[in-house]
Amino acid sequence: MTCPPPAQIPALELLGFGECGWGATLIWGLGNSIVIALGAYALGFAIGICGAFGKLYGGPIAKDLLGVYTTIVRAVPELVLILILFYAFTGLLNDVLLAWGYDRIQISPIITGIVVLGVVQGAYQTEVLRGGILAVPAGQIEAARAMGMPSGVVARRIILPLMTANALPGLANLWLNATKDTALLAVIGFSELTKATYQASATTKAFFVFYPAAMCLYLLISLTSTFLIGRIEKWARRGQRDVRG
Amino acid sequence: MKKIVLAAVAALAFSSSAFADPLKFGVAAEPYPPFTSPDASGNWVGWEVDFLGAICKQAALDCVITPTAWDGLIPALTSGQIDVIMSSMSITAERAKTIDFSDHYYNTPAMIVATKGSGLKPTPEGLAGKIIGVQVSTTHEAYAQKYFAPTAAEIKTYQTLDEQNQDLAAGRIDAGMADSIALDAFLSSDAGKACCESEGNVQDDPEILGQGVGFGLRKGDPLKDKLNAAIKAIRADGTYAAITAKYFKSDIYGSDK
Repeated sequence: MTCPPPAQIPALELLGFGECGWGATLIWGLGNSIVIALGAYALGFAIGICGAFGKLYGGPIAKDLLGVYTTIVRAVPELVLILILFYAFTGLLNDVLLAWGYDRIQISPIITGIVVLGVVQGAYQTEVLRGGILAVPAGQIEAARAMGMPSGVVARRIILPLMTANALPGLANLWLNATKDTALLAVIGFSELTKATYQASATTKAFFVFYPAAMCLYLLISLTSTFLIGRIEKWARRGQRDVRG
Repeated sequence: MKKIVLAAVAALAFSSSAFADPLKFGVAAEPYPPFTSPDASGNWVGWEVDFLGAICKQAALDCVITPTAWDGLIPALTSGQIDVIMSSMSITAERAKTIDFSDHYYNTPAMIVATKGSGLKPTPEGLAGKIIGVQVSTTHEAYAQKYFAPTAAEIKTYQTLDEQNQDLAAGRIDAGMADSIALDAFLSSDAGKACCESEGNVQDDPEILGQGVGFGLRKGDPLKDKLNAAIKAIRADGTYAAITAKYFKSDIYGSDK
């Protein structure tokens, strides 16, 4: 492969998909970022739903454990959690596996990313969803119980539909955070959008070509998300009166 | 039918684990030309990549390159994320406490660069009162801390040599210290030609600067003998010289130790 020195390649060609362009690398990085954000958000949502119900309706032990989880995770920076899980935790796990006579395992950076960011998202989503549930008028829940609904049905048919609209703005914030938290995975050498941009610009020295391009890609994620979230919120608030007059 | 599919999936899963996984060679994810850097299509290229190709062919090993953050290479090796470090890592006593090293496969002196006409000397006196840039957790950082820190204004550390060079060109540091080959590549680039010049190599200190660059391995890994034999073999049959000639004007192997 013979590319001219990067300084002689026009900016558009550097960003293109040709033999000497880094477009494919950037798009690949963007894809990785989105996959991790989606995975982490989904995992976080599952944790969040369980956590919120557990904190409100669980037994004393479940409540305490969840309290410890949300406190610790929200206190430690994501960056530190990523480093702990990727290096310290896998090292420990492999030592145990070797001691028991198994082979060492390798945890792929993408799984690490999804799990760590998912655990972090879970803690924040627990609190957002808990707030959403608390904002459901108590009378609605009492009425449902008075009708003889078991608690599973109350959760599914009364609480979840009513809390969705309350929780959505907070959840939307967390989604936008998740898309940008993926950039933290650059520290373990994982090629998501930020790392791909860095590699492209460090190799070609065209920093002012690639970083604005990455900025546009992140902006694109945000704009698409905002549009979709707007639609979802409209759907969740259907039938509610707009009280702004 | 479902059972047959399940059995087939299980057979596939087990048979794939029966084959040896390819060996993961960790390189720093930050470009370090001309030894390791990604090209536009995401492949890794450079002297070390070609060298690795020759080594793996010689030793009949199945190798893949796994980019890992430079300062996370040793933890990644000891925690089992990668199997071998191949990232221009110098063999030092400090690192040898944690990991094993193969024989060295190249050895080049450390050099000081500064802005043109600065008149600095690569000695503690010549750099007194100056701000010196080095890459973090490298032998050069250890050297600068020992020899230059007492008299210099500040030792500034960078994640990558690229950032260090950028700051030198921008005038945020007075001098930079790094491997002479890597700095030569910078000095012959347009940005390097415009701003900077070599001030000469520093006085060697094998205890800190190490005995050249080798593969890093987990303690007691039997792979070490295989890699050493392969290095010897490609030195002897001329493959090493052919690869080196592609990138450098002179041999970079250094002396046998």
